[in-house]
Amino acid sequence: MKKAKLSVSTAIIVSCSAFLTGASLFFPWWGMRFVAPQYPEGLDIIVYPNKLKGNIDIINGLNHYIGMKPFSEESFPELSYLPYIIGALAVFLLVVAWLRDKRLLVALVVVFAIGGLLGLYDLHRWLVDFGTNLSDDAPIKIKPFVPPVLGENRIANFVTNSYFSTGAYMIGAAFFLLILPLWKERKR
Amino acid sequence: MKKKWISAISGLAVGVLASAVFFGDFSPKQPTSTASAKTNAEKVYVPFGKKDEYYLFASGGHSGQLFVYGVPSLRRIRTVPVFSLDSATGYGWDEHSKKMLGGYTWGDLHHPAFSETNGEYDGKYLFATDVANSRAAVLDLKTFTVKDIISVPNTSGPHCAAFVTENTEYLFLPTRFAVPLGNKYESLDDYSTKYRGVMSAVTFDEKAQKLHIAYQVALPPWSYDLSDAGKKISKDWAVITTYNTEEATTNLEINASKEDRDFIVLFNWKELEKMVKEGKYDIVDGQKVIFPEKQKGGIYLVPVAKSPHGVDVTPDGKRFIASGKLAPLLTVFSFEKAFKAIENKDFAGERNGIPILKYESVVEREVNPENALGPLHTQFDDKGMAYTTMFISSEVVKWDPNTGEVLDRVPVQYSPGHSVAAEGDTVSPDGKYLVSLNKLAKDSYLSVGPSHPESMQLIDISGKMEVIQSAPVDPEPHYGQMIKADKIKTINVYPKDESNPDAVYNQKDARIVRKGNEVHVYGIAMRSKFIFDAKAKRPDVIEVNEGDKVFVHLTNIDRDEDITHGFAINRYNLNIEVQPGQTNTVEFVADKAGTYPIYCTNFCSALHQEMTGYLLVKPKQ
Repeated sequence: MKKAKLSVSTAIIVSCSAFLTGASLFFPWWGMRFVAPQYPEGLDIIVYPNKLKGNIDIINGLNHYIGMKPFSEESFPELSYLPYIIGALAVFLLVVAWLRDKRLLVALVVVFAIGGLLGLYDLHRWLVDFGTNLSDDAPIKIKPFVPPVLGENRIANFVTNSYFSTGAYMIGAAFFLLILPLWKERKR
Repeated sequence: MKKKWISAISGLAVGVLASAVFFGDFSPKQPTSTASAKTNAEKVYVPFGKKDEYYLFASGGHSGQLFVYGVPSLRRIRTVPVFSLDSATGYGWDEHSKKMLGGYTWGDLHHPAFSETNGEYDGKYLFATDVANSRAAVLDLKTFTVKDIISVPNTSGPHCAAFVTENTEYLFLPTRFAVPLGNKYESLDDYSTKYRGVMSAVTFDEKAQKLHIAYQVALPPWSYDLSDAGKKISKDWAVITTYNTEEATTNLEINASKEDRDFIVLFNWKELEKMVKEGKYDIVDGQKVIFPEKQKGGIYLVPVAKSPHGVDVTPDGKRFIASGKLAPLLTVFSFEKAFKAIENKDFAGERNGIPILKYESVVEREVNPENALGPLHTQFDDKGMAYTTMFISSEVVKWDPNTGEVLDRVPVQYSPGHSVAAEGDTVSPDGKYLVSLNKLAKDSYLSVGPSHPESMQLIDISGKMEVIQSAPVDPEPHYGQMIKADKIKTINVYPKDESNPDAVYNQKDARIVRKGNEVHVYGIAMRSKFIFDAKAKRPDVIEVNEGDKVFVHLTNIDRDEDITHGFAINRYNLNIEVQPGQTNTVEFVADKAGTYPIYCTNFCSALHQEMTGYLLVKPKQ
């Protein structure tokens, strides 16, 4: 079987996808906003592929009342290697665009999809870990809980809202840009 | 169908236009027309979620405090302790404030003054003086806390202060009481020769946040009452009122009111600065002191109707207005005329070695509003109109400094001392609001016995003057400063200072270090616990030996707006506060053996009650 070659326009689209993937490193991917009567302005956890931003200290300070473990950038080893994985993915995409190799592209799309699902699972796993491993010493006892990856939840006086952010949308768009030419070139 | 619509709409439009032409009022609108459509209640009501338009900083007089109000609501927002102890904020117990207070427990905070840039409030610092114990203080408006207090030697009672020059080059502190230099003992029979009314020129080092006395001037032994710095053309100059030029030494009520004229001291601070640079001064009590009888120039006297109180420079810097107090008279003087008289050496002799300018050659006009008695102090609006408080006839009089015409008057309850207009002593007052600082409230509020609070009244000056709000105020506002709220930029949390050896930002680093009989606690406060020694079996316990000197360095690691913690030890008579992110130190000698609970005094959280610990003092063997 002859190697299927991607069209030039596809190569350009894949390059764009590579660019979006790389650029997403500099934007927040996911966040959770906490709103309470005393915090009408809201407290934030903002997750980048390599760091945490927002009111982490304040949220930790409050979470200790319900016996939640404090978290920091050190709590999540992913933050140390995630940028490399994403960076590598962006580079591979560029290589594929250069080689215009369809099979490689299909393989990357599969890796991309699996990676994305793993990422979501990982996020969910952490939410389960922090929400259910509550210390027995906690001054305020609440039922273990699992905040959703996306959407609203209520814990004590806080209403939390989880959301995907710029970086995640960029990754979504990047993925879409990979699917699009595959669909377009499906007959070839 | 479409056409019908067009004709209907155009018909309507023509109708509206026609009615506007025939019935509309196109005469220039008074700015008051919309404001007066509001009721007084609407003018002062600031609903939750909205903020006041202005900050009002009212001096707290002999409370030693500064009161911060919002205008137009006249809600008291904060009490800032300056010259006196305040257990509510631990002021005077933590090391920084304790050192600043220097052992004094009270003060008499008089005239507050903002730092200025080009004659405008810059919203960065506020200065105030203490008449009781001769001190000056500076507040940082990022935190609304005192940064430095200095004690001013050779002087007693800087009532006539503080006034700040156009770019905060100096704040001047003339004195109310004449005393011998160095506050030495001297017989009152030698009052005229041995006593002096010393004025101090103070500079502020913004970087180090320190006040410093640049030089002093040994003015004659008179009482100096109020003052103002020049503006624009008069920016190098300043004016201060005097009384007791009679140099009476007893029963001043009678004896200092004998002469028909006292003086306004007019001085050029640039010239005084030059004299100091050229070494034309004597050193007294460690200070560079200019003696006007020896070092001629730069200081002049302007005769004025007796015992004046306020002297205020108009926003354009061209005139200064003296308020007569005992003579029911406002005198408008011209800086330009004074400069000319000085240039021509048009003097009417000397007093205590200082040249006297002729009254006629400096005065522009005398203003005498009918039956207005006891003029004390003048503020200005955006059009340069003057507002003078009348202490005795209990009213505020609006008048035109250009013509002397009286424009409006409004009664106030009762006996106003100073008033403060929105940015009313700057080069560009805002108009709109004036607050009359009344000395007596009498029957204004629910009775609290024979003595009552003072009273502040908000006057809408955008049209015809009208009192639109009254609020009681603790003793005792003398003067105030009103600044547009957006000029003040506060911080929410103290920034981390990793170079501070006393600070602990990680609770795991909390520790207790013993050095001989000194115990240093490097602890943290957080919702809702103290950690003094992270590795101890009981991290919230401090155990020392009787007689140990204990230093508690406490950092509030709740970096969250308004989550302030307190630290008090039962029966040890001490309490400090740590604001969010702040590190504060308290020192004490554990001279009482026994067991003393420690607790957080500033309500911080649902488990505030549990935020406790123990100080265990082991008795001497």
